[in-house]
Amino acid sequence: MEYLTALPQQGMDAWNAWLAANPQLCAWLAALGRFVLPVLALLILTGQIRSLLRVPCDPEVWACLSLPNGGTELLTHWENILGRSGSCDVALNYPVVSRQHAALIRDETGAWTVYDLGSKRGVSVNGVQVAGQAEVRFGDVLDLGGVETVLLPVPPEERRRGKRPAGVRRPASPWPGLVLLTAFQMLCALELVVAGGKDAPAAIPGAFLCLSLVMWVYVLGMRVLRRVGFEMETIAFFLSTLSLAVTASSAPAALFKQFLALLLGLGLFLVLGVFLRDLKRVRKIRWLMAAAAIGLVSLTLAMGAAPRFGAANWLRIGSLSFQPSELAKICYIFAGSATLERLFRKRNLGLFILLTGVCLGCLALMSDFGAAAIFFVTFLVIAYLRSGDFATLALICGGGVFAVLTVLSAKPYVLRRFAAWGHVWENASAGGYQQTRAMSAAASGGLVGVGAGRGWLHRVGAADTDLVFGMLCEEWGLLVAVLAVLCICTLAVFAVRACRAGRSSFYTIAACAATSMMVFQTCLNVFGSVDILPLTGVTFPFVSNGGSAMLASWGLLAFLKATDTRPNASFAIPLPARRDERTGASLAPEAAPRREEKP
Amino acid sequence: MKKIERRALLCLLLPLALLAGLLLFCVRWALYGGRWASFAANRHLYNAQGALRVGRVLDRDGDVLCWVDEDGGREYYPNAAVRRATLHAVGDPGGNIGTGALVAFAGRLSGYNLLTGAYPVLGQGRDLYLTLDARYNYIAYEALNGRKGAVGVYNYKTGEILCMVSAPSFDPLSPPEDIEENPQYEGVYLNRFLSGVFVPGSVYKTVTLAAAIERIPGLLERKWTCTGSTQVGDGAVTCPRAHGEQDVGAALANSCNGVFALLAAELGEETMAEYTRKAGLTESYTVSGLNTAAGRFELAGLSERQLGWAGVGQHSDMVNPCALMVYMGALANGGTAAVPELILKAENALGFAGAVSRPRQTARLAEPATAELLADMMAENVASAYGAERFPNMDLCAKSGTAEVGGGKSPHAWFAGFLRGEDTPYAFVALVENGGSGADAAGDAAAQVLNAIVNGYS
Repeated sequence: MEYLTALPQQGMDAWNAWLAANPQLCAWLAALGRFVLPVLALLILTGQIRSLLRVPCDPEVWACLSLPNGGTELLTHWENILGRSGSCDVALNYPVVSRQHAALIRDETGAWTVYDLGSKRGVSVNGVQVAGQAEVRFGDVLDLGGVETVLLPVPPEERRRGKRPAGVRRPASPWPGLVLLTAFQMLCALELVVAGGKDAPAAIPGAFLCLSLVMWVYVLGMRVLRRVGFEMETIAFFLSTLSLAVTASSAPAALFKQFLALLLGLGLFLVLGVFLRDLKRVRKIRWLMAAAAIGLVSLTLAMGAAPRFGAANWLRIGSLSFQPSELAKICYIFAGSATLERLFRKRNLGLFILLTGVCLGCLALMSDFGAAAIFFVTFLVIAYLRSGDFATLALICGGGVFAVLTVLSAKPYVLRRFAAWGHVWENASAGGYQQTRAMSAAASGGLVGVGAGRGWLHRVGAADTDLVFGMLCEEWGLLVAVLAVLCICTLAVFAVRACRAGRSSFYTIAACAATSMMVFQTCLNVFGSVDILPLTGVTFPFVSNGGSAMLASWGLLAFLKATDTRPNASFAIPLPARRDERTGASLAPEAAPRREEKP
Repeated sequence: MKKIERRALLCLLLPLALLAGLLLFCVRWALYGGRWASFAANRHLYNAQGALRVGRVLDRDGDVLCWVDEDGGREYYPNAAVRRATLHAVGDPGGNIGTGALVAFAGRLSGYNLLTGAYPVLGQGRDLYLTLDARYNYIAYEALNGRKGAVGVYNYKTGEILCMVSAPSFDPLSPPEDIEENPQYEGVYLNRFLSGVFVPGSVYKTVTLAAAIERIPGLLERKWTCTGSTQVGDGAVTCPRAHGEQDVGAALANSCNGVFALLAAELGEETMAEYTRKAGLTESYTVSGLNTAAGRFELAGLSERQLGWAGVGQHSDMVNPCALMVYMGALANGGTAAVPELILKAENALGFAGAVSRPRQTARLAEPATAELLADMMAENVASAYGAERFPNMDLCAKSGTAEVGGGKSPHAWFAGFLRGEDTPYAFVALVENGGSGADAAGDAAAQVLNAIVNGYS
């Protein structure tokens, strides 16, 4: 092992010595990097962001219903509600049909099931009254309180429409972004080495080279598997690059650990994405995930972790330390999201509220109020998406305010953090110490930054985690920092837009919850570091230095990947089997793979 | 699903909030970035001692007053007296003097800009030329001779401040150990000229007189007899001696409290407040970005006798020396004057200076005819009371003040005025705290500086 690191370090020392002998070159490289890197970042991200925001989110057609009046209604989701109300997926404007009459739900094998949603006049399939639920095959007559409809496969003209090679439907080609990102990573490593001077460790170019390699292997591997959408991953890889740069600048020794976390995160992303393909599997494991969420947040409490930075949310095993509450976020969203079928079978939020209560209680006990706030906001998002019930949520919010007041009276030191809020410059050496330095450093960077590895903010405590936005502004400039925040916003907008083509409410709710979590976390991190909100000690998704946070960010991205229903875009959605195409039992997007195979 | 799709729209509120907050931050960043960067803990611009480690401060002739050595430490002008005389303009290494260039103009010194932040492409640090002449500062500081006070001279046409001294001062290279407890250094970090307010005494009579000229018909024909004590309202206003019979011009030359107290009482509190405000004495000027202290004149609800005392610059009147100097400039310049400036130019490494700002004008501080009449009377003052021979080659108009401060202390000595003439557009103010007679103590300091400016120095 020693030999393994010694050799690169020797080469590195020789390289450093050569650089030291050419100070003029170093100065030129530094000046060049300051201006080229933000431009590269701009090019990389505008491409990806534009592609993500332009996704038309065309609904996929899974089957259709012929109506008594001769018309047909397309079923564009796996989970459809049939009823008289305008908010139903298939609106049947007949007085005999209840407002929400029935749900027609498809599983991943293509089998359809109808659920009676407590309608007045009942549901029958082929004349047989349905008690609760019943399978529906193509050609079956589905009777909703006397209105007869027939479930039919996707009509040929619809399938052709799906085949139509509309350019906009295809995700942007990943190659330009990938090449630019690789150039960005290489230049970034060079900048960091130049800035590091004689002591620059070989780990810096090593980590960046490995990252590029992993990135290419991932994309090429996915291409072999016939997947074409890579915008989210490119954005995540870009933010992870920034994370490595921040780590290299503030704690070079932790670079290897951070890269490892990235690798693990990518692994989690893949595993979770593949797992999410199968909705049946997902349904089965939700209980396990709820238990895991509680287990993870209570683990730290049980192990009696030592407080660090005021919050006792760290778990130490040997030399490794990690935050179980970060991983609990994934489990929590997994457990909280629900399929439509479940939403109708179990209308109240009781168990979910219980889960949330336990999680928040544990987090409050370890004084991790930032994480508690994130869980609470995610809870609100999930609860609203599931129930749409403002009254209950208002009640819960009231309870939340009460809980906050209780906490503040029990733990007055929390209030002290708030005391400096809005007055950090008057308390620059006490409560506003970190924020004033973050803002001063952020201003010093200007638009283009002082250069990677040339800042001083990293000497301030928690600079590479809680104040990472300040570090980005300082070393990378306002431009890159703003772009990083815009990336997170883009993911959120994509998640909301993808609802239109959402197959199951599980995916939709999970994606919205995951991005809301990321966005709220970004809000707390960015605004906390620049005194728009009190400093809460929350990480910036993907960017902050920290293994657990990196792992969690990639995990959350998997939920988003599972909603990307563009043909063949996402590995988290199974490719349509070819035999389906032949039998015609399925569906519009199948046409795409054949198109892909063309040179 | 359609329902959930609609509900999901509400999730857009969070990214919207994030964008709004980001926008707020960007606006603040653009507006206050310079201030944030000029923070003593910012290691890009400040050394470990908290002193600015980039940029040079020079006076108008190019004498380097303060620069950075190779180790990033601050160096100052070789002569200790010059260092003391320019301390409040240049600033101390600790950054305690808010009006010092090292603090107040840190952004200009570093070349900070929004595009490249603390590291401009052409290198850090600029040459900041002040409008001051170190020599005049030195002469003024020596003339104060260890007493507390302030001296300011400026060009009322261009706004350039040629001399700005505040005492007490100290040597920035060896700050005294006992600076906090020694009464000799009381208020040493305060730039008395820009940030201090003091009892004006008789120099305020120029304001009372301006009001009387415009509001009291037949003022110039009136005669008063001063017995040393004049009944104003329910009480007496006293003069140091009996001035006998006098017209208003003679009353100004004698600085007769009785006559001006009667005039103030006759004008009434509203008119007095109006003219004080008009003269700019209650205003805060922005001198190259530095806000001067605003004077305070509490004239409402006073008895006639109190208003009389207020009319001769006593009672609770407080004036800022810089604002008084600007008023003098306006009297010289037909009613308005240039707003004072401290920065001549800031050059980057290539010797390229940024855009030069045109002099800003004050509002109308006095009517032109009134200003001319006042100027004539003040010129007469110099001839009859102060001695024109003390001010060679100068068309000097001035008013002295001896402001009682109570507490058994000597009065503050004031001397304020201006030079007429195309080649000598200078207004000035000199204040010696507890200096005794205004014309003597403060007049001497003013005379020495003006002499150097007008007649040169060897």
